[in-house]
Amino acid sequence: MVDITAGLHQATGGSVTTPTSHGTFQLYEHSTRNSNASTNSYIAQYFSSSAEAHANSVSTSEDMETIDLVSEDTEPLVTIDHVGDAVLFSGMSADDDIPGIGQYDDFHTIDWQRDIARDRMRHRYIVKKRQDSIWDLIKGAHDAWSGWVCVLLVGVCTGIVAGVIDIGASWMTDLKFGICPQAFWLNREQCCWSDTDTTFDTGNCSQWLTWPQVLGGQREGPGAYIISYLFYIVWALIFAALSASLVRMFAPYACGSGIPEIKTILSGFIIRGYLGKWTLIIKVVGLILSVSSGLSLGKEGPMVHIASCLGNILSYLFPKYGRNEAKKREILSAAAAAGVSVAFGAPIGGVLFSLEEVSYYFPLKTLWRSFFCALIAAFILRSINPFGNEHSVLFFVEYNKPWIFFELIPFVGLGIIGCGISNSDPLCDYNRNFTDVNSAIEKAAAGPGVYRAIWLLVLALILKLVMTIFTFGIKVPCGLFIPSLALGAIAGRIVGIGVEQLAYNYPKVWLFSGECSTGDDCITPGLYAMVGAAAVLGGVTRMTVSLVVIMFELTGGVRYIVPLMAAAMASKWVGDALGRQGIYDAHIALNGYPFLDSKDEFQHTSLAADVMQPKRNETLSVITQDSMTVDDVETLLKETEHNGYPVVVSKESQYLVGFVLRRDLNLAIANARRTMEGITGQTVVIFAGSNQPLSPPPCLMLNRILDMAPITVTDQTPMETVVDMFRKLGLRQTLVTHNGRLLGVITKKDVLRHVKQMDNEDPNSVLFN
Amino acid sequence: MTLRFIVLICAATCALAVSDHSYEDNRCKCVCPSPAAVLNDTAAADRSPFMKSANVPPNKCNCESVILPRVADQIKGREQEFCPRCECKYENRNTTIIKVVVIIVIWVIMLLVVYMGFLICLDPLINKRAKASYQEHTNEDDESTLGGPSQQMGARGNVLNRVTHQQDKWKRQVREQRRNIYDRHTMLN
Repeated sequence: MVDITAGLHQATGGSVTTPTSHGTFQLYEHSTRNSNASTNSYIAQYFSSSAEAHANSVSTSEDMETIDLVSEDTEPLVTIDHVGDAVLFSGMSADDDIPGIGQYDDFHTIDWQRDIARDRMRHRYIVKKRQDSIWDLIKGAHDAWSGWVCVLLVGVCTGIVAGVIDIGASWMTDLKFGICPQAFWLNREQCCWSDTDTTFDTGNCSQWLTWPQVLGGQREGPGAYIISYLFYIVWALIFAALSASLVRMFAPYACGSGIPEIKTILSGFIIRGYLGKWTLIIKVVGLILSVSSGLSLGKEGPMVHIASCLGNILSYLFPKYGRNEAKKREILSAAAAAGVSVAFGAPIGGVLFSLEEVSYYFPLKTLWRSFFCALIAAFILRSINPFGNEHSVLFFVEYNKPWIFFELIPFVGLGIIGCGISNSDPLCDYNRNFTDVNSAIEKAAAGPGVYRAIWLLVLALILKLVMTIFTFGIKVPCGLFIPSLALGAIAGRIVGIGVEQLAYNYPKVWLFSGECSTGDDCITPGLYAMVGAAAVLGGVTRMTVSLVVIMFELTGGVRYIVPLMAAAMASKWVGDALGRQGIYDAHIALNGYPFLDSKDEFQHTSLAADVMQPKRNETLSVITQDSMTVDDVETLLKETEHNGYPVVVSKESQYLVGFVLRRDLNLAIANARRTMEGITGQTVVIFAGSNQPLSPPPCLMLNRILDMAPITVTDQTPMETVVDMFRKLGLRQTLVTHNGRLLGVITKKDVLRHVKQMDNEDPNSVLFN
Repeated sequence: MTLRFIVLICAATCALAVSDHSYEDNRCKCVCPSPAAVLNDTAAADRSPFMKSANVPPNKCNCESVILPRVADQIKGREQEFCPRCECKYENRNTTIIKVVVIIVIWVIMLLVVYMGFLICLDPLINKRAKASYQEHTNEDDESTLGGPSQQMGARGNVLNRVTHQQDKWKRQVREQRRNIYDRHTMLN
């Protein structure tokens, strides 16, 4: 076996990093366990096509880079035995045998290594089959490009759905005010599209009838006002009630923004139904309804959720992704990018958002796919042209005025304000529409009442803050982006007016003397609003790079990158000083999801032996490789609640053989009882190592579900390393050994609890496995 | 600042607007100051006249060919001052997409409301007895347990049975979700 491994290294020597090829042999051995004679031929076939082997290792080397990274960093204490490859769910054939293997239970953590290994197996199987026939060649080609096709479909669907939401929401919003009788499907702007009477002032035209006019009254007057008021209230109530009851009735998971959950799911967690069909439908319909009801919420967070739902649903068209949770998350990362791309009309911002905020495992391959997906989604939305102008977002502003260096100081100040607000309550939710702000400002600018405008803006700020806090708790699809942006824009506008007045009243001060001496309006309050919006959003979500890119893509103001960067940075600093987490991380912590943040550092000096289960005086539940009966195993499954069991040579020696998952064990035993004859309670279960499978009572061979390459560490490994391994490899559990003998298990939950304990928090707040 | 009005000039080039001329898919939109403002007539508060012109091709969408013929009498030869302040844009839209989308949205909402009403009012009456059996399945079904019964049912049952089965499964899932969200408050609280 050693010789063959060495030969494999030579055969794949052309690649950059030879992946842990030592597992390959075991794998092929086990996938053909019933006919040992054919093992050699498989290997011969494998070696006969060195080009294939090369391609294979190239494709896998990407996945393995993280592992190499870790093994370089780790201290010599760590023993990463066999990584990944030797997992014995040998691709297609085993999956067909026992249904459900490779799936996970609800609210469980996935094992990235196992899934990636499964995909590698499947890939090798396809590569091997490719020589057999033309049809297999086509299937192989389809498999190779299915990632791009899936991402393309996700982009197209996301763009279409975003167009539907934009059109539907704008129509329903205007339904509160009136109707276009000749063509009821047009909103007010579209209804007056070709009317020549339109002015900027009212936006009304003769084709568009307000509700009092529909009822036969006049447009103006107290009676008309009351009728309009009533209609507005009634429509808003109907929309909001409908949205809430649809969510409650059909898909409770559709409530909220969904980004914390998406983040957790992408970090390797299963929430069944969270990305399902019904969630998608209800989220789309509910989002249209709740946006048009005028609640203080935005559609950006839900758009990310909707795009992820689409990614999940469409990935089932491609078994490569649909049946492999780790691979599916690559599609979901790309989908999240598409969601932001259509929500803000910011494709690059979407990719960066996916990279910075939501994704956990983000190799370059996923980056390119996200880029492509965001591009396609933005293109489709632009083609649908939901607003009838060439912008794909509702609030496109265009500033082209220069800013002066001194203004960086108030911009930084805005950043500080931004996070002060965000920290008053991480769960809060702010609400004020851009249109509202604009109307308030125009009123003020028109008359002499600039001070009145400021007073109105302050009032709006307070009201929106309070309203948003309440709105975010309502169980309807709602996002936080637009309310935060609006809140920041209000604050920014106030500061901007202040600076403008300062420059106007003291034009001789040296700060302004250079640029403002001409008497032109050198300070643009609107720019302050933009920067303030970025600052508040940065304070709430703690984004930096993606936020700046989203803002300048959203507003088209490339020349304001530096002010935006300054504000975002200041906002992040102050926010991090006042409170630790952004709102999404806070939500994750509140809900107790097992999210191991890859941004935090673990700085304590504990060892693996301190964290592992079982503690002292408890026994570790293990399964022996070839001496337990079916009854023994079932008793063990009944009496303990662990999600996986180490398999050892014998209880006395405790030498580690492998690791088997509870779910797989259950499924395999149930499957064996159903399909094989002669399985009784006394049947011996054999996982590995047995050399006499021909004993008269048939024995149950379960070597397929045994993971022969569990990650192990020694008991003296520092926790820093262990936490790093969990983060970078995406482990679900690791086994702890001492002198080569099994000592205990560390699961992700143990790690999370330990981190919480070390940070003086309640470790019981980690709820799920 | 001068008063700025929007002057909408719309061009009917789309075949869709044969019957109803006011909902075309193309327009030339010009935003101009009122002529009075250009002429330094600060007292003039009257709005600039709004004009409508048919069949403006995209290359003719500019101030000279769209606005000037309409306001020539007011401008009195000061075109050189007036036109640079106008912005003309040729814009497209697609009313068919809007129509289809809005109608689909209305239909979907109505269907959902009707189905919700059915589930709330009629469904408990129809199958009261089935209710007890839901409660036993608290765990999510995985594919293995689902695969067995549904295949057997496919053999002997009809389409209706399968639909009911799917519906029951879906109802269980929703109940589970509702418990997570509204009762236990383990999510999104």
